[in-house]
Amino acid sequence: MRTKVRRPTVAGLAAALTVVTLLLVPASPAAAHNTLKTATPAKDARLTAPPEQITLEFMQKLNPSFTTITLADAAQQKVPTSEPAVTGTKGTITIDQALTNGAYTVAYRVVSADGHPVQGSYRFTVADPTATAGPEVSAPATSAPAAEPSTTSASPASAARDSGDGPGAMVLVGGGILLVVMVAAGAVVVRRRRSSRVS
Amino acid sequence: MTGTPTPHRVSRRGLLTGGALAAGGTLAGAAAVTAARSDPPPVRSGDPVPVAAVGIAVEPFHGPRQAGVATEPQAHAAFVAFTLKPGTDRDALGRMLRLLSDDAARLTEGRPALADTEPELGLLPARLTVTFGFGPGLYRAAGLEDRRPPSVADLPPFRIDRLQPRWSGGDLLLQICADDPLTVAHAQRVLIKDSRPFATVRWVQRGFRRAAGAEPGRTQRNLFGQLDGTANPKPGGPLEAAVWVTDGPDWLRDGTTLVVRRISMNLETWDLLGRTDRELAVGRRLDTGAPLTGTAEHDEPDFAALGPDGLTVIPDFSHLTRAHVTEDRLKVLRRPYNYDGVPAADCTADSGLIFASYQADIAEQFLPIQRRLADRDLLNEWTTPIGSAVFAIPPGCPGGGWIGQHLLG
Repeated sequence: MRTKVRRPTVAGLAAALTVVTLLLVPASPAAAHNTLKTATPAKDARLTAPPEQITLEFMQKLNPSFTTITLADAAQQKVPTSEPAVTGTKGTITIDQALTNGAYTVAYRVVSADGHPVQGSYRFTVADPTATAGPEVSAPATSAPAAEPSTTSASPASAARDSGDGPGAMVLVGGGILLVVMVAAGAVVVRRRRSSRVS
Repeated sequence: MTGTPTPHRVSRRGLLTGGALAAGGTLAGAAAVTAARSDPPPVRSGDPVPVAAVGIAVEPFHGPRQAGVATEPQAHAAFVAFTLKPGTDRDALGRMLRLLSDDAARLTEGRPALADTEPELGLLPARLTVTFGFGPGLYRAAGLEDRRPPSVADLPPFRIDRLQPRWSGGDLLLQICADDPLTVAHAQRVLIKDSRPFATVRWVQRGFRRAAGAEPGRTQRNLFGQLDGTANPKPGGPLEAAVWVTDGPDWLRDGTTLVVRRISMNLETWDLLGRTDRELAVGRRLDTGAPLTGTAEHDEPDFAALGPDGLTVIPDFSHLTRAHVTEDRLKVLRRPYNYDGVPAADCTADSGLIFASYQADIAEQFLPIQRRLADRDLLNEWTTPIGSAVFAIPPGCPGGGWIGQHLLG
């Protein structure tokens, strides 16, 4: 009796899992927007020498027409740089003059393959112990250059800020899973009822 | 007089000139046909049918400049493009344009056209305008190539173009606009019928805006929900400078040029964009139409304004940034209409914009804007030009005259 009832349940769950898998596989690349993968200098990096370039690597190929990378100092003043040079998924700006010690903000605005604008920003600090003291009070005087490695990869999730307020990829995928599970559960219940009636 | 919300109670008798069509009630105007057949008109002494102001409003057809350009856009439009038949030369064009000018003059005044087979449909002009445009082929057919304004030529190809012949080109254009769709349909029918000996229909594009009086004075919205036409030159001096040809021979003076482009809008992929992303693509707020750096629709955008992270508040790939023109003389007057075709079986829309822009010179005004848009406008992700045509808009004509008389007469 009981085994007869359970057999369709297991089958139903298996089917549901298959559907979930099928849904997930094509869904993730199609729904994902472009996000920052790595940044040099990295997010929150503390550099002992001023960087000459800033390179951002994204998950998708960049469109040079729609790629903006800017650098601003602690006073939110734009720092002169080149236009971004784009190769594949990477965009690089060259800084015109050596940066003085202080905090800087890198900001980017790119467009995903599906046309969605993506923008975000992160900060890094230049703390060159050999440099003459800059006007920044915020730059700590303690010289502990080795304490923070300058090449830490920025966490893409924390660096990239999707500007969209529409349903994000995760919401869509999560909702999809929930829906499938609910449908599957419903199917199981129906089957269970049918089975009990039969038996 | 349009925009006056108070409905007038007008006897149709009062609408008709000369009393030739005097008839009461709903049968008014049938007299035109019956009179032509020398039957006695069926006069009925009943209550006059009330007619609202929107129905009887008239835009004058005659004048130094054609109507339908600086005219406050009506709710409905049909753009009808013709291909001239091989035998339609300068003389035939004169005959054709005399005929069509007469039709247009009558219908815009609320009088049925000569031998109008549905005269009742000619009685409510509803601000009807019929604007004539001459394509490059008309000058060739008339043997007057040297009189063609140089900028009235096929546009250069753009990277974003996916032009279809069924929406492109044309030797003669009639832009028929009115606040009543039945009036547009009737005028279109009359004008096409009378063109039959001279030309074939190349394409017709029908479009719409909000109903007359629904949002008086409001910039129109397209089917993406954007206000469309905010940056138009203001009436008066700025519009004069941008639109009208003020010198040159009399077949050009008080004329202008028209670019018609059919822009397909992909509502399905636009649906996937969040509101913030849509506003970044446009550079304006969707509700007010204000630039992202302002609070009101007509605030001047500040393209240099930076956000806290150092990015410009208005993205440099936004439609606003790419389309922006500061000098009035270099602006174009946009007079677009929405189109909304039959959805496909898979439930996807066939929607878009009949882009129509008037400018004194296409090469100086329209082309630089179009190049910048084709180059780097993020809106191109969701829009595709599928049709393109250019026309010279000749000057208007006095009563008894006809459109094109200076050029072809």
